[in-house]
Amino acid sequence: MKDLKHLYYFEKLLEDANNELVRTSQAQGKKCVATACENVPEPLLNLPGTFSVRLRAPRTGSIEMATYYTTSFLCEYTRALLERAMEGGFNFTDCLIVPDGCSMLNRCAENMELLRTMPKDHFFHEYMEIPMKADDNGLALYKVQCQNHILNPLHEKFGIDISDAAIRRAVTQHNRVCDLIRQIGEYRKEEYPRITGYEFHIITMVTYAAPKDLLIEKLEETLEELKTREPDAKKPYRARVVLVGSEVDDVDVVRLIEDCGAYVCADRFCYGSFPGRDPIGLTDDEDALTQICRQYMYRGQCPRYMNQDKIQERRRYVDRLALEYRADGIIYQQVKFCDPWAYERMVGTQVLREDYHYPVLSIDRPYTTGNSGQLRTRVQAFMESVELKKLQGGVK
Amino acid sequence: MGREIGSEPLGNFYTNGKVRKRREWRGVKDTLYDYTRWLHIMGILAKFIVKPRNIKAFFRYRWMSNYLAVPMMIDRHTQGLRGPQLRIAHLQLDLVAEDVALLLDKLFRGDRRIGNDKAFSDKVVLMDENEMTAVMMGFPTLKGLSRESPSVYITVLLNQYAVCHYLDTVQEFGLPGDVCPMPAAEAGMSIDDDFPVLGACAIQCNTTCDGSLLSNGVISKRLELEDGIPCFQLAAPLRHREEDVQEYAAQEIRNAIAFIEEKTGEKWDWDYYFECAKRVNESTRHRLEWLEINKTDYPQVLGSSFALYNETNYMAVCGKMPMFVEADRKISALAEQGYRNKTKVAKEVRHRAIIWGVQSHFYFDFLVWIQNCWGILPLTDMLSMVSTRILSEDDKEQAIYDMAWLTENMIMRNRTHGGYKVLLDELWEFCEEFRADTVILWEHISCKALDGMHGQFEEKAREKGIHLIWVDHDLFDPRVISRQEIRDQVNRYMRTVFREEPLDPTLEVIHDEHSW
Repeated sequence: MKDLKHLYYFEKLLEDANNELVRTSQAQGKKCVATACENVPEPLLNLPGTFSVRLRAPRTGSIEMATYYTTSFLCEYTRALLERAMEGGFNFTDCLIVPDGCSMLNRCAENMELLRTMPKDHFFHEYMEIPMKADDNGLALYKVQCQNHILNPLHEKFGIDISDAAIRRAVTQHNRVCDLIRQIGEYRKEEYPRITGYEFHIITMVTYAAPKDLLIEKLEETLEELKTREPDAKKPYRARVVLVGSEVDDVDVVRLIEDCGAYVCADRFCYGSFPGRDPIGLTDDEDALTQICRQYMYRGQCPRYMNQDKIQERRRYVDRLALEYRADGIIYQQVKFCDPWAYERMVGTQVLREDYHYPVLSIDRPYTTGNSGQLRTRVQAFMESVELKKLQGGVK
Repeated sequence: MGREIGSEPLGNFYTNGKVRKRREWRGVKDTLYDYTRWLHIMGILAKFIVKPRNIKAFFRYRWMSNYLAVPMMIDRHTQGLRGPQLRIAHLQLDLVAEDVALLLDKLFRGDRRIGNDKAFSDKVVLMDENEMTAVMMGFPTLKGLSRESPSVYITVLLNQYAVCHYLDTVQEFGLPGDVCPMPAAEAGMSIDDDFPVLGACAIQCNTTCDGSLLSNGVISKRLELEDGIPCFQLAAPLRHREEDVQEYAAQEIRNAIAFIEEKTGEKWDWDYYFECAKRVNESTRHRLEWLEINKTDYPQVLGSSFALYNETNYMAVCGKMPMFVEADRKISALAEQGYRNKTKVAKEVRHRAIIWGVQSHFYFDFLVWIQNCWGILPLTDMLSMVSTRILSEDDKEQAIYDMAWLTENMIMRNRTHGGYKVLLDELWEFCEEFRADTVILWEHISCKALDGMHGQFEEKAREKGIHLIWVDHDLFDPRVISRQEIRDQVNRYMRTVFREEPLDPTLEVIHDEHSW
């Protein structure tokens, strides 16, 4: 296929946390709200006068200093973030708002605070308690936490408008981005898709890592471009897979999988589009904050939701994606040393194999995959097994 | 050999086999006392074993055979002790043993595979192993029983290899080996279907860590979807010191109580609750008194028995069993007597230490070992620094918040969660209060909450001039770090940094890998 016009631009944006669009927004006087978890409602961080950046540590090399502070047993994502913070890579941010989503993320943020890695005078840290069950009590907590740890501090420190009207404007902008990503993602359903999983991953990820308002125009152009893009005449993959699991912000992961002959037709992982790019529906009969929290809570696919209904729903969610995007198999992945996804991957793999009859590849991987030969071998072997199953008329 | 502390070279008792050469000679009075307590434990065992359903349980559950080692476990934790300390340790450990025997008996009575007493089972509410049982303080006719405590948690106290099989099981199922072995072993046991099956319902809790929370999902899958036992997941907030999470925590308690009422048909009894609350308060006052004594030059209530007793008293008992308060009173009397008489608990006290971190000292005799071998006094430990809040004894609304507070501040999670202040900053405050010159920091290598503060501990200890001895371990999996490897970390520090010789050189290297 012909290269997408803006792909290189998007790739360049992802090479640095303090990318061109971040700098532009800050030059316009906007405050940069850093976060690191999908459980923090994004529209609340993108109010008029602020924009959010989901922290990544692109081009991570050594993480020795962070390993000293947190040992080699913490997941590499959190260690890479801490290392980058110590290197000054997040000096541009104005505050950090993170939930105690997992112990490792919490410790990562606390180390940043204790080491005073972000130097701005007005910089502040906020830690949120996020519900572990989706119910009315959880919703009440979510609202209080968003009010006390996002909205109030932004208003008090930076004078940000946190009115219902401002939140609704932020949701409108958020939904525009989500809508564009959804439409772009629809092309992945095609037998001869006009967008690769890698390209889609890049486009989606950039919406987490750069100010949304500055991206919309290029996303719209990309969507237009896709409408007439000619897919390859030869089928470019051996099997279609849903990639499920913990956070993937390394640009090489999807590329490596697709280099092995797979097509990543759906992305259910932190930094992916499901459910992170689901639009938020608002009605007028209830305040926006409540509606945002409710939708984040009920749609959330994070393994920290501990009630059995939610746990079963996570399996059904993957099944629905696999059916809708016509996947031949599922790749369950986790960043090495991630406790929540270690359990989720274990059970999810078994259930999707045994109860839903999907071929499942279950892997743990380093934060930066690069050219991991081990991972490549495993994906290649999985591709062969899926192909064989198809040839032999397997169940799915 | 004699009455004095340190008069026997304790390391010589080890034979590299399961049992030691002989019992320790502690002088006539203490030896006789110790022997009568040993007989008492044998009596508890015998009383338990004579019931046919309990014998059946020995054959059904592979973890049950470890209980034959109870007397050896108690011997291990009382090594080298004399006078009041020996009596305090026995009061604590013997009562825990009695409590566990009662728990096992009840579990097998209701177990569908063993006793199958349906009427009894319908009165059982299953509780998590690391869960504060506060929500059961108002149900006098119900039994809140933990399956994980006797099958997983306690068996490794008896035999360090007890749960290795279940760790292998869960890893074969696909769980990586880098997660905490405690919830992993519980998940493995559930996959192996090796828990007793009973109860009208279950209350799970996001207890100590992410692993614990996620492992509950594995357990509830079997409980709810296969065994048909409805589960309520009690979500206790992680940032437990924050005001803005308390209403959520209180509502979780209300919901849990409503769930139990619905599933069992029983009604919450406030009179019984306040009766239990009074006992919890009395236990708290006693514990605070012991800690005050431990701040002086004559500490009296020390060791693993202290930690284990606190854990049982707060988490499992939570005021529901009067015999624990009776024991508290006796312990206080002994401690006061020891303090008044200026009784020394070690041959020589060289260092005063706070034991911090996620500890492994239950699984062997580490705390008496540092005392006997190196003269390091373990003044208190992280698990014992649990809630000191006095519960309301008459206000029903406040009581809900008290239960929520207890649940949020369960042992271990009250330090490993809630922000760095409770884990890091308060440690140095305790060092000052207890006049400790040393911190022995258990670094449970798979405990991410603790690992994540590693560098901060080091830097702050250096800043404050406190000796920090790191002791790595992997909790329930001694195949990763053995007992001697754990001891060697202390040995190295004592020799190279303190430049000291052991008080009892026979203890420096012990052949106890196979010892019960």
